[in-house]
Amino acid sequence: MLALLKQKSYRDRTLQTLFVGGLAVMLVIFVMTARTNLEAQGMTSGFDFLERATGWGVSFSLIDFSTSDSYLKVIWVGLLNSLFLGVISMSFATIIGIAIGIMRVSGNKMAELIGTIYVEVFRNLPLLLQAFFWYAILTTLPKPRDAYDIGGIAFLSGRGVYLPGLNVSGLSVFLSAIGLVIAFAVWLNLTTSRRFAKMMPKEKTARARSIWLAWGFAACVVMAMGRIPDTPLLNLPYLKGLNFREGIRVSPELLTCIVAISIYGGAYIGEIVRAGFNAVSNGQKEAGFALGLTPWQIFTRIRLPLAIRAVMPMLINQYVWLFKATTIGIAVGFVDFFMVISTSINQSGQTLELIAILMGGFLCINYTMAFALNRVNDAIKLKGTQARG
Amino acid sequence: MTNSQSAVRISDMDKYYGTFHALKGINLDIAKGEKIVICGPSGSGKSTLIRCINRLEEHQVGSINVLGTELDDNLDNIDEIRRETGMVFQHFNLFPHMTVLENCILAPMLVRKQERHLAERDAMELLTKVKIPEQAEKYPGQLSGGQQQRVAIARALCMKPAIMLFDEPTSALDPEMISEVLDVMVGLAHEGMTMICVTHEMGFARQVADRVIFMDGGEVIEQAPPDQFFDNPQHERTQAFLGQILGH
Ligand SMILES: Nc1ncnc2c1ncn2[C@@H]1O[C@H](COP(=O)(O)OP(=O)(O)OP(=O)(O)O)[C@@H](O)[C@H]1O
Ligand SMILES: [Mg+2]
Repeated sequence: MLALLKQKSYRDRTLQTLFVGGLAVMLVIFVMTARTNLEAQGMTSGFDFLERATGWGVSFSLIDFSTSDSYLKVIWVGLLNSLFLGVISMSFATIIGIAIGIMRVSGNKMAELIGTIYVEVFRNLPLLLQAFFWYAILTTLPKPRDAYDIGGIAFLSGRGVYLPGLNVSGLSVFLSAIGLVIAFAVWLNLTTSRRFAKMMPKEKTARARSIWLAWGFAACVVMAMGRIPDTPLLNLPYLKGLNFREGIRVSPELLTCIVAISIYGGAYIGEIVRAGFNAVSNGQKEAGFALGLTPWQIFTRIRLPLAIRAVMPMLINQYVWLFKATTIGIAVGFVDFFMVISTSINQSGQTLELIAILMGGFLCINYTMAFALNRVNDAIKLKGTQARG
Repeated sequence: MTNSQSAVRISDMDKYYGTFHALKGINLDIAKGEKIVICGPSGSGKSTLIRCINRLEEHQVGSINVLGTELDDNLDNIDEIRRETGMVFQHFNLFPHMTVLENCILAPMLVRKQERHLAERDAMELLTKVKIPEQAEKYPGQLSGGQQQRVAIARALCMKPAIMLFDEPTSALDPEMISEVLDVMVGLAHEGMTMICVTHEMGFARQVADRVIFMDGGEVIEQAPPDQFFDNPQHERTQAFLGQILGH
């Protein structure tokens, strides 16, 4: 028995089992106590309320929603909204962060100064404060009648931003987006997996091209099938009376969340990207120059890929953390997951159940995201030991 | 006028790092096909000198002419010279995110606009020459130091340079790996490549060098064919240096 305990793998597994078991016991005890306490107060517990109609509406939803729909559906709406907000703002935060990080290592004094000021300002002000600031600015934009016209296809007004859209169903857009993720995963597997290492590069390039072509074709087909009948494909906003018609309206609330999280996240990601560039040794750059590569080629082929690899684990943490930041939606009234749950708590009184759903939802999303990004990291990380430069 | 037989011609060249005078009045004429070994104590400016030849460092005074192209602020000239010179570094400086083969074909494809399959064919030929064709699909981090340095040599050769610059290519290697790299360099020398090597491998210098150059304090102190250089050094600083590295 003692000998068994000394064996590392066995010991690790035993400890883990004990730990998970202990947690489960605590959870059961907690739930049972809460139940008896609630019943003593005459409150019903359980998840039956999820079937009930809410009786209240939401101001932004990616799927059809009416006041007669159930709590379950409203929670789903909130979750989708949070995911939507998260994906958009994390993409922008990444673009901003890479730009800021590059500015800070560019060697150009002016660019470095701008980058430094950006990071110091937006990293050091609380996110909530920034959200209020952007909300104030976005809601004081002119009325639709006097909206800023961007090339006649997009408009900026205090009632929201109006963008051109496609007259296709939401489902087809969603399916295309999922397709894009799958295509990316397959492509990453093809380019980095050992299984295809022996494949002729020519065939590899051809396969990669067919992956993207397949996705493009599938997306076109799905969009064509999802066409809303009797409408032009392009859906342009136009002013009618006091307001805009058609197009995609991005409400000031959603826009505030996107702007605030992108800018705040961009500052943090910028710092991470800068650290990544500093971690790339000068030797690789010099080797590139000695081979006759241009600064741009060295940047795109060598420094950027190495910098991203160096900070991938830090970036993953940052994304998990940024997703949690989507909960500022509640501060300006964007119906995100957190806000939907909090309104449901007020309306239904099922606090514990709803909080459990909230926590479960965030855990699921963040675990899934971290898991997926860790797979990406595994696929691209440097192979072998790097001690010899 | 540049002698058409000159590979590298350096005249009255000075190099400063800020106010620090790193190279002083360098004059050097290296013929095509010539093999030069540069040695000297640490900090004497050996690396600085060969890094000036492909503009990894910029000189301030005098002129450097490589294969008839003047090394000045004209970017086209710098590109031209970098295409014609290959460089091997002490710490290999391979690109760790690319396989050995990708390391080798990157510059031929981007700079020489070579087609991929041709670049790969040439790269495999050169990897065979440095005796590691079987490692082509591995990543640098999966190879030993000696193997990595041979990849670095193959990578530089893939650009078909007329001149090869080596900056202490074996000094980061364990003793048992030094000879595998030196063998490759000796082979290259026998093929007639113009080579400028900073190294303290005196056996290598004796075997292949046409001329050994001794530097100290940013100056060329003495230059002579290896026999004369090792057996009958003229300058007392050379004698002291040789006494140190050969003495034990
Ligand atoms: N980037 C730099 N900035 C300032 N001084 C430098 C720089 N690089 C080299 N030096 C200085 O220039 C002198 C020559 O350096 P160099 O690297 O050429 O010497 P070396 O002969 O190659 O020495 P070693 O055998 O140690 O490699 C040294 O005194 C060094 O401190
Ligand atoms: Mg040196």
